[in-house]
Amino acid sequence: MEAQKVDMFIMSNGKYFESHQINAIREGLLALDDSKWAMLSTIQFKDPSTILIISILAGSVGIDRFMIGDTGLGVGKLITCGGMGIWAIVDWFIIQKATREKNMEKIQRFLYY
Amino acid sequence: MNRNKLYSILLIACLAGYTWLYYSIITQKSEVKSAEVCLIKHFTGVPCPSCGSTRSVVSLTQFDFEEAFLFNPLGYLVAMIMLLSPLWIIIDVIMKKNSLYIFYQKVENTLRKPNNVILFIVLILINWIWNIKKGL
Repeated sequence: MEAQKVDMFIMSNGKYFESHQINAIREGLLALDDSKWAMLSTIQFKDPSTILIISILAGSVGIDRFMIGDTGLGVGKLITCGGMGIWAIVDWFIIQKATREKNMEKIQRFLYY
Repeated sequence: MNRNKLYSILLIACLAGYTWLYYSIITQKSEVKSAEVCLIKHFTGVPCPSCGSTRSVVSLTQFDFEEAFLFNPLGYLVAMIMLLSPLWIIIDVIMKKNSLYIFYQKVENTLRKPNNVILFIVLILINWIWNIKKGL
């Protein structure tokens, strides 16, 4: 794929990924065929800041985990009152990283399959 | 999420659950009011969908199934997970298999289907309304 397109993608979607992953994404995209650009620009990523707000407001019932696609952990959080309140508070600090990892999984599925 | 991460999360959760259960039974016997840990209940005064599941599990340990159901039906689910998952994990680790992990993924995929999502949400909402009416 053209370097210009890849840089454009990185610029507009960089906030959805961990900073140390961006280089790998860039290289993967450069090696990709140009015909996949249309598909790539339709992928929807979850915004870590939105998820953080959800986590603060409705974390005790696990909505944040459901939203990023961790259904199993979401159910776990729901039936234990957010892990007796402890897990809910821990998640305020790690949910952004978890969201970025989920986004990475999403783009990896696109890059390598 | 890979297999080992899921298993350690489940084991830690079960360990915390058993510690909490032990503490609740002790405080219930000495009739000291047990600590309330639910964030939603602390902040809003309204019980959350899973409030009462500790009391439900405590009733289950005394084989009082009816009282357990009246406190919170989710207690059955919690008790089942607490009983089954450590055993299943130990068997999996010894046999070097990942059957629990596969089962977990299957459950996740079933829950994600739109019909099941709606059913699940409706059940949880009914339980929540019932909780608020009971005033747990």
